[in-house]
Amino acid sequence: MLLEIKDLFKWVNSGGNRIFLLNDIELTVNEGDFISIMGPSGSGKTTLLNVIGMLDDFNEGEYNFLHEPVHTLKEKYRANLYKEYIGFVFQSYHLIDELTVYENIETPLLYKKCSSAERKAMVADMLDRFNIVGKKDLFPAQLSGGQQQLVGIARALITNPKLILADEPTGNLNSKQGEEIMNLFKQLNDEGVTIIQVTHSEKNATYGSRIINLLDGRIV
Amino acid sequence: MLKHNILLFLRSIQKNKKTFFINLVGLSTGLACTFLIALWVYDELHVDMFYNDHDRIYQVIEHLQFTDGVTTITETSGPMANLLVQDMPEVEFATATIPPSWFGSHVLTVGEKNLKAVGQLVGKDYFNIFSHELIQGNKNQVLTDPNSIVLSKSLAGNLFGTAENVVGKIIEFEQKRQFQVSGVFEDPPSNSTAQFDFVLSGEASKEESPWNSLHTWNSSGPRVYVLLKEGTDIEQLNAKVETIRKKRNENTIRTATLVPFSKLYLYGTFENGKQVGGRIAYVKLFSIIAILILIIACINFMNLSTARASIRLKEIGVKKTIGAKRSTLIIQFLGESVLMALMALIIAVVLVALFLPQFNTIIGKQLALPYNLNLVTMVFGVALFTGIVAGSYPALYLSGFKAISILKGKLNGSFGELWTRKGLVIVQFALSIVLIVSVLVVYSQIEFVQNQNLGYNKDNIVHFKIEGKIKEQHRTFISEVKKIPGVKNASSTTHSMIGHNWSTSLDWEGMEPNNNINFQIVGVDYDFIETMGMQMANGRGFSKDFGADQEGIIFNETAIKTMGLKDPIGKKVRFYGEKVIIGTIKDFHFKSLHSKVEPLFLAMMPEGVNKIMVSIEKGREKETIEELQRLYQAFNPGFPFEYKFLDEKYQALYEAEQRVSTLSKYFAGLAILISCLGLLGLAIFTAERRRKEISIRKVLGQSAAQVTVMLSSEFAILVLVSILIALPIAYLLINNWLANFAYRIPLHIWYFIGAGLIALLIAVMTVSSQAIRAANRNPVDGLRLE
Repeated sequence: MLLEIKDLFKWVNSGGNRIFLLNDIELTVNEGDFISIMGPSGSGKTTLLNVIGMLDDFNEGEYNFLHEPVHTLKEKYRANLYKEYIGFVFQSYHLIDELTVYENIETPLLYKKCSSAERKAMVADMLDRFNIVGKKDLFPAQLSGGQQQLVGIARALITNPKLILADEPTGNLNSKQGEEIMNLFKQLNDEGVTIIQVTHSEKNATYGSRIINLLDGRIV
Repeated sequence: MLKHNILLFLRSIQKNKKTFFINLVGLSTGLACTFLIALWVYDELHVDMFYNDHDRIYQVIEHLQFTDGVTTITETSGPMANLLVQDMPEVEFATATIPPSWFGSHVLTVGEKNLKAVGQLVGKDYFNIFSHELIQGNKNQVLTDPNSIVLSKSLAGNLFGTAENVVGKIIEFEQKRQFQVSGVFEDPPSNSTAQFDFVLSGEASKEESPWNSLHTWNSSGPRVYVLLKEGTDIEQLNAKVETIRKKRNENTIRTATLVPFSKLYLYGTFENGKQVGGRIAYVKLFSIIAILILIIACINFMNLSTARASIRLKEIGVKKTIGAKRSTLIIQFLGESVLMALMALIIAVVLVALFLPQFNTIIGKQLALPYNLNLVTMVFGVALFTGIVAGSYPALYLSGFKAISILKGKLNGSFGELWTRKGLVIVQFALSIVLIVSVLVVYSQIEFVQNQNLGYNKDNIVHFKIEGKIKEQHRTFISEVKKIPGVKNASSTTHSMIGHNWSTSLDWEGMEPNNNINFQIVGVDYDFIETMGMQMANGRGFSKDFGADQEGIIFNETAIKTMGLKDPIGKKVRFYGEKVIIGTIKDFHFKSLHSKVEPLFLAMMPEGVNKIMVSIEKGREKETIEELQRLYQAFNPGFPFEYKFLDEKYQALYEAEQRVSTLSKYFAGLAILISCLGLLGLAIFTAERRRKEISIRKVLGQSAAQVTVMLSSEFAILVLVSILIALPIAYLLINNWLANFAYRIPLHIWYFIGAGLIALLIAVMTVSSQAIRAANRNPVDGLRLE
């Protein structure tokens, strides 16, 4: 078991009303899962993903990640936890514009105290694996959307995370590029990486092993 | 990591070249100004501090109690020196001097070589008090022989071609007396108030008038310096010194006292017997200007750094999600801004080196880039501080955000941040406006002073010293001068009109007892009033037609008023015997316009005159002076002819103001330039940030012109607010400064309106260029960004 969420609530107070963003969520994710979270706009997909990624907090409930009780952990430990085990992939890629492909992929390693030689080897492996060696000195602005997302995924994978969280990873891509990215996720999953993705597309959801449907913050 | 950060820094510079250069130029100019001023301030603060025992050197000054207040002079009587050394055990050494400003320059001759050099007469322990290093000679012995002369290194070099082995050589003084070189001292450094080329022993002057006044209690022209023993309580000592004059004469109006010598330079102004400041006012003024400029530059830097940082919010968000710690980001942002400040520092140092010669001409000093460790540390400190302060906002504030809120785009610059930035712009412009007002007023006041009717004609008057053979026959010489075509008139006087400092109290017919008025004395010869173009108010001037006019005396109107004389002509006065008032002269300014016209009288002193004044027709100066020189050489072979124009000397009275006015002109210009650079940067940034908003407005139908006005007026409002804040402050400051002048311009409202308009105009011009650009962009581009 990778993570377990029990009776989780997240709300905001607006005027006198309490609006639930996440309502009584129960979820268990095992290693090797490939889960797709689906639902209409505003149903709480991204919020759930951010809570799982520990970027966002919640008001009530329990969240255990690798048997660590996240709900009791201090901010600092939580950050260490997600840095260690989680990689993020964003809809709009979020690459650093001033850095080249190579440097973007290398950045997470800088925060993990790897030696320079180690970093070189790891980044080279990653470039090789994604077939983008020829693009390593280009800046994000010089790449197509699909290529940028590829770099985004490579950056997420460089630290060898147990879990990849992807928020509509193909949302900004055309269908062909989207398909390539999804195939890549499938392949990664086969290699043992756990993946949770948020998606609007039924087709993309079929790549996963399990679908969670959300409506108004509730699993249906 | 370091490499990564530097790389990011360089790339973001490349991406934002415009703001980067604005930032760099602004900061480096600001730093350069501050350093220049710091150099000057440092130098001023160290004037006369180079002597080994400068904190133990004291000067005797005297307070004179007149009916209308206390006048303080830095001169005293020569014998005071011996008395202090004998009677006061706290005094280690004392010396009476005829200072260089009085002793002046004299012709020294070695073989065929005639040189004019400035000297002073001093007591035997002079070099024990003032540690001018003796290259040759012993400080205890060089002045024991009355016929000794001690030369500066450069004078020795000029006279003998070398400063080595000159001891024992003979120098002819004024072509009538011989002195033997007994030593050579290092030239006084440029931060010494005493600038002189040679010293003679005071003993050499026992027989010679007027230098024999060094040895009598009846004169108060010499200066007396003492070196106190270590650990002396100056208050206790002064309690004793202040009784000296009373002990000698129960009815004296004088009180002698000791003040620290090295402080007199900066605190040389006395009012009613109290030390009230002096040049220190300018030192403070410029220190404040330096700090203001630095603040203005820092504000720019801060504003642009924070503006840039909020553009880089995304980077912060991404880095946080992929594992950057907060401290890592803090180090990155602080590092960037410190690096930036250090780059600016390097440029600033280069700028200082480039502009130091010009700066030196303006301030009239010889400053050099110091290799002094203190200053270098200070300079680094300032740059480091600037970098850290400017970088602290993005480093501490922005790095604290949660990654998710940044990436969701929830933070687009907070309300507080915008207001801080606006507030800083207001402060910056307020400071610039204060500077502009000051410059306008200072400039007008200086103009006013220079064009003021002084009561005499200062233009086209040449004056020079009476010396050599002209001394015995100056009347013959003057009558020859009058024959030169182009000479309107000529006369002689005891003092030049400017920098006059000779005064006395008087008894007159009908005087109330114990009335002590201090009168300025001007000793003159025939035709003086005519040569100077002064106006008689009553009676007549000195004239050969009235025979023995030696007994006549002429007062100015202020004097007559102060004395309370109703019908002055014919009244008798006691001044070197009995004199009769033959006329009154209209007031004229013989001191700077800082002070009111004082009571004054003119008396005939053909024996005491030492300056010749020649009034020359306008337009014929060159040939007339050549002619004058020929005549002078005929009378005085071997004496170099050195003349001065009176108006130059007049201008020198306002040297300090002139310098302040020139300097503040430059600094105010720079301040407004730096402020505008900041404004430009912010305008670029705002236009960028509001691109989407502008696009939407245009899609909804707002015209480009309306958008331009909207963007520009936002900045114009800031400048208007700063005008409102700045004007009262400027008024207070400048009013305070004008109070230094007894005769001053009225503070017209136009100075303030003008300064405000200048600032507003420059600001609007700066901003509108950016606003126009932003307004004319295609709205689709702006919307596509999302």
